[in-house]
Amino acid sequence: MQKAWLKWTLLGVPALIAAGCATAPDEATTRQIAEKMVREDFTAPAPALLKRLEQDRSQQICSKIAGAKLTQEEAAEVVKLARASIKYPASGKLVGDWKIGDKLAHDGAGDRIQGGRLEKRKQNGGLCQNCHGLAPGEINVGNVGPSLTGYGVQRGNSEAIAKLTYERIYNAWAYAPCSNMPRLGATGHLTPEQITHMVAYLIDPQSPINKR
Amino acid sequence: MKERPFNLVAAVSLCAIVTTAQAQGTDPLGVGRRMLTEDNPGELWIDKGKQLFHEKRGPKNASLEQCDFGVGPGKLEGASAQLPRYFPDTDKVQDLESRLLTCMVELQGFKREDVVKRAISPGGSSGSDMEALALYITSRSNGMKMNVSLGHQKEYDMYKAGEYLFFRRAGQTDFACVQCHGEANKRIRLQDLIHMTSKKGVQEVVSTWPAYRGAHYVVRTMQWRLYDCFWQMRLPELKYASDTSIALTTYLHYQGNGAVIKVPGFKR
Ligand code: HEC
Ligand code: HEC
Repeated sequence: MQKAWLKWTLLGVPALIAAGCATAPDEATTRQIAEKMVREDFTAPAPALLKRLEQDRSQQICSKIAGAKLTQEEAAEVVKLARASIKYPASGKLVGDWKIGDKLAHDGAGDRIQGGRLEKRKQNGGLCQNCHGLAPGEINVGNVGPSLTGYGVQRGNSEAIAKLTYERIYNAWAYAPCSNMPRLGATGHLTPEQITHMVAYLIDPQSPINKR
Repeated sequence: MKERPFNLVAAVSLCAIVTTAQAQGTDPLGVGRRMLTEDNPGELWIDKGKQLFHEKRGPKNASLEQCDFGVGPGKLEGASAQLPRYFPDTDKVQDLESRLLTCMVELQGFKREDVVKRAISPGGSSGSDMEALALYITSRSNGMKMNVSLGHQKEYDMYKAGEYLFFRRAGQTDFACVQCHGEANKRIRLQDLIHMTSKKGVQEVVSTWPAYRGAHYVVRTMQWRLYDCFWQMRLPELKYASDTSIALTTYLHYQGNGAVIKVPGFKR
């Protein structure tokens, strides 16, 4: 063993060893390596679906590694992009039908890709149940987001609240840049009309969310 | 193996010595100790995998006994505890399943596409050869500690790529792994989400795969688990044994170093 050490010392290898034998690649190199993987390692039933892997500007900013903080400028850019993304329904009415919203909130399906097939449906589910507490007493709900139980009881159903709620669902990052809530309207997962039903579900006094 | 400068080869082999020394520092009782997980139906797959490993199969009518998982041909004790790792013959960082794939193609003469097509079995079936083999080989490290090394530059690159990918948000749900696995005590509906940016959480993950999956009545592997999470994320389909899957596995396994392997795990 000692002889070997001596030989390597003469070869100038210890520098490599002192650095743990391999060195951390810099950020640009890592990005290049990883992005190449993303381009090569997925299949989809139609080439257009591979576009889902590409990041938009906000997603790039919001992919901070291991607890690195957003700078103020980055947060401001994400909010600005989010605000600019928000589209309102053609009807101009932000409050739809809470019964449809109730169904949507409990629907987690749509648009997944498996076995070479895209899960085609008339419309995607809202996914809300995955992350949010909904009507009182509902047990099969997630907690990635805050509970929405009693949402309208606390806030009322004014026009201002309807608009705020619509915008938060359309693009959560307009209010909470890079939060874990998907930008459901902005990414095209939900349509503006679907979001109006979600708004009704959250703020209508008749909605189960606002009952005891 | 590709030509590389002599001193690099030397450095790599020294790293290997250091790594092995660390491996020998693991729980001395661990080797060969059978963990008692009596109610786990996944146990049945271990024997199936053992049989498949020793049986002469494929167009070349060969067993897998000459397959080198990084600690020598046919040596299985502690092998999976050090995976993924760099393999000079393929010049790649490989996880257990991609390494098995290499051996099934090179030694046994199976067609890569055929193995890949069958690697993830339909739920409720008797499972795939790959699933049984991966479980058997991992079970030979039961009681030993995860000990993945980043000594080779390609291992380090793979690890950093995995870390990058763990935090890379994309698609219509804006998900990266960390959106669901970055906090303690979180659930998607009633399914507990393991907190993988904590040592305890990631150690639970890396020590329990392959696992018996109750909902599917089969043994599932890490390749399947990653595929399924990308499906939930509504991203395109992750290719079996792709570098993306190996990078994420390298990231998780290295983070989980020190965890005591105990497979098959039992999952919902
Ligand atoms: C993957 C998780 C996830 C999904 C799916 C999700 N949310 Fe959220 N939601 C969050 C998180 C995290 C927050 C807190 C951060 C924020 O406000 O963006 C949040 C916040 C909110 C808020 C603001 C709460 C407040 O107190 O002001 C509303 C309203 C909301 N979500 C509604 C919905 C609706 C409606 C759906 C489905 C159409 C939905 N969310 C789907 C995670 C999610
Ligand atoms: C939308 C939420 C979501 C996202 C995003 C997600 N996962 Fe998961 N993950 C889950 C769920 C749900 C489970 C299974 C929990 C169960 O079955 O009990 C899971 C399980 C796992 C497990 C197995 C944990 C165990 O039981 O040992 C691993 C490993 C894993 N995920 C890795 C990843 C990686 C890597 C990514 C990113 C490429 C990712 N996940 C993205 C929801 C998610």
